[in-house]
Formats: sequence, structure tokens, C-alpha cells
Amino acid sequence: MDNENRPEKKHGSLSDTNKKESRQLTVMTIPTVIWFSLFCYLPLFGIFFAFKDFTPVPGDSLFKNLFVNSEWVGLRNFSYLIHNPQSLSVITNTLAYNAIFLVTGIVIPVTLAILLSEVHQRKFQGFVQMALVLPYFISWVIVGYCVYAFLSTDTGVMNSIIKHYGGDPVQWYQSPQYWRVILISLGIWKSTGYTLIVYLCSITTIDRTLYESAALDGAGFFQRVRYITLPHLRPTIATLFILGIGSLLNSDFGLFYQVPMDSGALTDVTQTLDVYVYKSLMLNANFSYSSAAAFLQSFVGCVLLVISNLIMRRVDKDSALV
Amino acid sequence: MRLLKRIASAAVAAALSLTMFTACGEKEDYGKDVIKLRWVTYESSVPPDVKDVIKEANEYSAEKIGVVVDLEFQPTEMINLTMASGEYYDIIFTCSWLNNYNTAASRGMFYDITDLVQTATPDLYNVIGEYWDASEINGRYYGVPTLKDMGSEMMFRMNATYYEDEKGMTIPEEMKFEDLEPFLEAYKKDNPIKYPLAMDKSGIAGFLNFLEKVVDNYIVIPYDSETPEIMPIWENEEFMKRVRLLHKWYQLGYINPDAAAMDYSGIAEDTPIRTGVAWRGYTGYSNPAYWDFRVKLSLYDGPYISKFTEQGAMFAISAGCDEKHAEASLKYLELLNTDRKFRDILAYGIEGRHFNYLSNGTVMKTDEGTDGYMPSLFTTGSVTNASVLSVSEDYLSDPELWTKVFEGYKEYGIWSKSGGFIYDTKRKEDIVTMLSAIWSNYYTDMITGTSDPDVIIPKMKKEMEDAGLEELMDDIKSEFEKHLAENK
Repeated sequence: MDNENRPEKKHGSLSDTNKKESRQLTVMTIPTVIWFSLFCYLPLFGIFFAFKDFTPVPGDSLFKNLFVNSEWVGLRNFSYLIHNPQSLSVITNTLAYNAIFLVTGIVIPVTLAILLSEVHQRKFQGFVQMALVLPYFISWVIVGYCVYAFLSTDTGVMNSIIKHYGGDPVQWYQSPQYWRVILISLGIWKSTGYTLIVYLCSITTIDRTLYESAALDGAGFFQRVRYITLPHLRPTIATLFILGIGSLLNSDFGLFYQVPMDSGALTDVTQTLDVYVYKSLMLNANFSYSSAAAFLQSFVGCVLLVISNLIMRRVDKDSALV
Repeated sequence: MRLLKRIASAAVAAALSLTMFTACGEKEDYGKDVIKLRWVTYESSVPPDVKDVIKEANEYSAEKIGVVVDLEFQPTEMINLTMASGEYYDIIFTCSWLNNYNTAASRGMFYDITDLVQTATPDLYNVIGEYWDASEINGRYYGVPTLKDMGSEMMFRMNATYYEDEKGMTIPEEMKFEDLEPFLEAYKKDNPIKYPLAMDKSGIAGFLNFLEKVVDNYIVIPYDSETPEIMPIWENEEFMKRVRLLHKWYQLGYINPDAAAMDYSGIAEDTPIRTGVAWRGYTGYSNPAYWDFRVKLSLYDGPYISKFTEQGAMFAISAGCDEKHAEASLKYLELLNTDRKFRDILAYGIEGRHFNYLSNGTVMKTDEGTDGYMPSLFTTGSVTNASVLSVSEDYLSDPELWTKVFEGYKEYGIWSKSGGFIYDTKRKEDIVTMLSAIWSNYYTDMITGTSDPDVIIPKMKKEMEDAGLEELMDDIKSEFEKHLAENK
């Protein structure tokens, strides 16, 4: 009995410290909990907009307008998306661009992060890092005008170069064939620096002695990357990948709307779901329609996220999110 | 845990009170018997001196009728949201081309002023007169039409110093759209690297105004046919002729190559041909001292008058107002429509600081006025009741301009034969949304001449048909027949 009691008592005191610790940890989460409840959970009632014909009476509160004054209409607000012959091309565009960004968003920053981690001159590393992150902070509107300075038909840099070498000027904003490449390069240019930092941080947490012993055993650069760096980066890559899948139907509005200057001739390659919703609702400010579109995006994103997480759990349990 | 609870409850309370504040709006009285109104109007930017001007106007109106206002200038997106979210206001700017008057009124968002305006403000009722028709929906009025240019007249504003003095050409008072070609050609010949008809993606001002709009711009009723007929825009021959012409001009280099991609561009000041929507006798943008050349207007379209154009600017009162506030709002609008001195304050600012009266009764802005208070006339009240603006002391406008413009409508106005037909797009909102998105994809390329209309219009037509154009047309046509039968 004594023998059995002792460890239990010990265990009891341990759980006391555990409790204290977990209380401290709980208190530390308060700001996040408040943030999420205010800005993520509280506005969730907005989902009802998607299923109501929102008809406000001026002066009534938003809640009364939404729940009392507006009628239920079932899925009617979705019909402009579902019965739309354009939807197919819009959704294909959105998925295709996102799939490309998903892959390039891993391959390029990971490669750069590995190369950069091999650079031992601190100042140079800092400079490259800053140069890569900088585009992330430039607004798409400004990027759009810079691109215009390059691609303008009569005064643009590109056409000046083409003319200088005797070619015919290109009407860039009327030529959809170039824009997939332009948009993808710009997307990569703008986002790479940011994800690079995430990967670079993960690399710095890897125990340096692993590399040293590998080097002693005669492992070359590629072997070190293959057997040490990449396996350690796997959870981070998996996390970012799964999160990326969750937003497969969302697209960077600025990139696809501001940069091509909303040029009609480019629609076939620039129209993603966000752009389409903005364009079709810009005129009539219909809350119900836009919430329906947003709901669809989140719903599909959520389903994809759960599925990819399930698959990930089968393949590699440690890298899955939940 | 207790701490956590306390913090959480405080946060929830703060969030709730925040939503309550935004929901209630400000509905307070100002002073003893003075009523304060929240007046929301449209303007792309807020004039810097607006506070001083409102103070001056409030002193005047408080003494005259015991009403003051809190005037807010809101750009398109914002005023649309103010309406769509059901925010509280007393008076709001509404019209056919922004926060749709017809939809909002038929959905019960505006106060029915039919009886109140006749009993409480008979002067206002009489001033608007026959133009009350503009706000009529099923025999009731939900808004006060603003008396301004009631029809659309489109004109070219041309550099007369260049064309008449240098080139010896004559700019006629009126011309046809296609008559512009020799002027474009002449300028291009002299200035091969410049564009005589430079434009941004909004194209030629009022380009589609020669058609009565039914849905957006793409379903229209031509003014010229004997019996009114509803059609998709590409079935109108004049439209096709004009877009083909624009494409030809584009290819000849009369229009800048990136017009379809350019937003609010600063088009060079020496561009010899600009386009505008105005009225006979309009003198704005004509001051030779400013432009360095004489500007001559040449009318090519209109005046076209339909319910759509008559609804160009209106003020409506919120359905959430009690009778006291509704009456005060009408009193205020009455003062704007009948008292010229008061009207001039909101139109031009403070006398002596922002503007001065000239010898013939017209008004000239000071430099401070040009920078500090320059809202469009129609956004702050009646246009016809405001004094007429002259561009310089040597270049006086006609003080009786508006009487002549209104007489002109009777004389040579091209009136719609649709009997004030308005289609309620809420009936087929999903199709209209789809079609509008398709239309907007092709619109800029079409109106800037960038793409060949004989290539893109068939493509657009096909897409629109797939999205349900026929169903929409059938519904509009049956509604139109019903409307014609009722109004016989």
C-alpha cells in the first residue's frame, strides 16, 4: 500500500505545479482569445447575409435588419455563381494560379533559404534578406503603376527596348498570352521574401552539431541538405502547404485586378473568383451576394483543408496540423 | 479564472456597446427648437472648407426655418454602403446612376412625401412642377428631383485657336459624331506623336447617352424610333456605327493606345478635343486665360430627355424618419429651391471669401474658392436656383441661362417615348449581375475603340446569351407591355 501511495502522492504534487503552469499559460493566451473572438467569431453571424435577402430599414439596428426585416431565401444568393457559364473559367483560373503559387511558394523560398543559410557573411545575408522582403510591403496599386511604366505601349521601357532593336512594339495590355507569366512572376516576386523568413528561422533552429558530424563523415553540401535540412523543414513545409490549400479559392485581388489595370482584353487570364465577385457587385453593393461568394470560398477552403490534413496524417503523422 | 472572466465580459460589453453606438446613429436636437439633420450627399472628395461653409449656411437656415444640417460628402462606394447597410440619415443624395433611386424607393427605404410635400411645403411642390414625374413610382413620390440640366446634351470642347485661327477650319455650333474626323486628321498630321482624342478608360463623356438606359448600359430603348422598342445595345445601328468609327480612329492613332487600361489619367492639357455632357450656353472649362486657347463647344447629341435623365440628381428622405424630421427635411429642401442667397452659400461658399457677385448677377469664384470649396452644383441642392457661374470678368455668363435651357427642352428636346418605364432589376438580379460582369469585361475596349467591335461584340453576345439574356429580355418586355397598357 505504501509503495502504491507514494508515487501517487508524488504525482499529485506534480499535477499541482502543472496546474499552476497551465494557469499562467492560459492567462497568456487571453489577448489571442480576445482577438479571435472579436474579429473572427463575433462577425460570424455575417454568414446569415448569404441566406437572406438583406433589406435594411434605415435607422434600425443591424441585427434587427438582418434577422427580422430580411427574408430567408435559401440558396438563391448563390445562383449567380452556380448557374453562371463563366464560373468554370473563373474557378479554373483561381485554382490553376493557386496551384502554381502553392508549388513555387515552397520550392523557391526553401531553395533560397537553404542557399542563404550557407552564406556566412552576416551583412550580405541581411542585405539579401531585406531586398527579398521589401516587395512584400509595396502595395499592388503602386506595383501596378510601376508595371505600367514598363509595359505602356508608347512610352514603356519594354517597348523602347524592343523598338531599339528594330522590333514591333507590343500592346501589352491587349495581349493576354504574356500575362500568365507576368502575373506569376510578380506573385512570386512579392511573396517569396516573406515565406523565406519562415524557412530561414526553421533552419537556424536545426542543431549545428548535426552538420558538423555529417561533414566529418564526409557528407557533401547536397547530402547535408537532403539528409539534415529538408527532413527538419518538413513540418514547416507541411504546415504552410496545408494552410495554402485552405485558401485555394481565394486569390490576391490586388495582383489580378490592380496590376492588369482591369483591362478587358486580359479578362480570360486575369479573372479569378475575387475579381469576378468584385466586378459583378461593384455596381449594386449587394451584401447578400458578396457574403454568398465569401461563404463559398471559406466553405470550400475548409473542406479542402480538412481533406489535405487527413491525407497528410496518413502519409506523415508528425507533419499534420491536427 | 475570475480575472479571465472579468476581462472576457469587459471585452464583450465593449464590443456590444460599440455595435449599439454605430446602430443608433445621431438623432439629437440642436439647441432649443432647432432641428439638426444628417444630410449625406455624393462627391468624389470632401471640399476642405466645408466646415466653415456649413456654419455659415446653418446660421442662415436656423434663423429662417429653424433647421440646421450636418452635411457629409461621400464618394460612390461609401454612399452605396451607407444606403445598403441601413445607416440612419435624414436626407440622402440618390439618382438613377448611383445608389439606385427606383430600387431603393420600391423597397421602402425612402419616406413617402406625396402628401406631406403638398401640405407642409407648397412652395417646393410648385417649384418642381411637372418634374415631379421623375420621382413618381406607382403614383407616389419618394424623392425631390433636383432642377438642373434635365436632359443629356453631349458636346465636343475644341481648341478654336488652333482649328479656326491657325487651320482656317470652322467649328460648327452643331455637328454629327462622325463629322469630327477631319478635325482629328488635321491635328494628327501636324502632331504625329500626339493623340487628338486622348481618353482614359471611361471613354468619351456621355458616349451612350443617345440611348435610353433600361438595364445598366446594355439593354436600351433608342430615342429615335416611332414606337419604343427594347433591345440589347448591339442591335442599335447607330451604336454599331459609332463603335466601328472609334475603332477606326484608334487604329489611325487618334486615340491613345493604352486608353482602355488608363485610370483617371492626366490627359495632356493641350489635347485639342475634349468631350463633355453639358447644356447650351455652358461656359465651364472655357476660360481662355486658363487654357491658353479659345474653347468652342460643338453639340453633337441631344438633348435627350427620359425618366432616367430626369432622375440625374434627387434628394430623398429616410423611411426611418419621424414626421417631424421629414417635415424639417422638406423645409430645408424648399429653402434650397426658393432662396437664391441661401442656395449660393452651399453652392459656392462664403461671399467675399470663396466667391463674389459680378455686375450682371452672375458669380465668380475667388482663388480661395477654387481650392477650398468646389463641390459639383447638383450635389448640394437645386442647380437652377443657384446663381450662374462666370469663368472670368471678361467672359460673363448669361444670368438667365436656365430659363433658356428649360425652354430649349420644350423646343428641341428629344423626349423618350417609353412613358417613364423603369425596370426593377431586383426581379432578375442574378442574371443582371452575371450580364453586368460580362458587359464590364468588354465595355472599356469597346468605348475606347481598342478592340474590333465586329470581333468582340459577337463574343460578348454569345456569353450573355449563355448567361440568360433571353430570359431577362422576355421579362423586361412583358413588364414593358404591362407598363404601356397601364399608362395609356
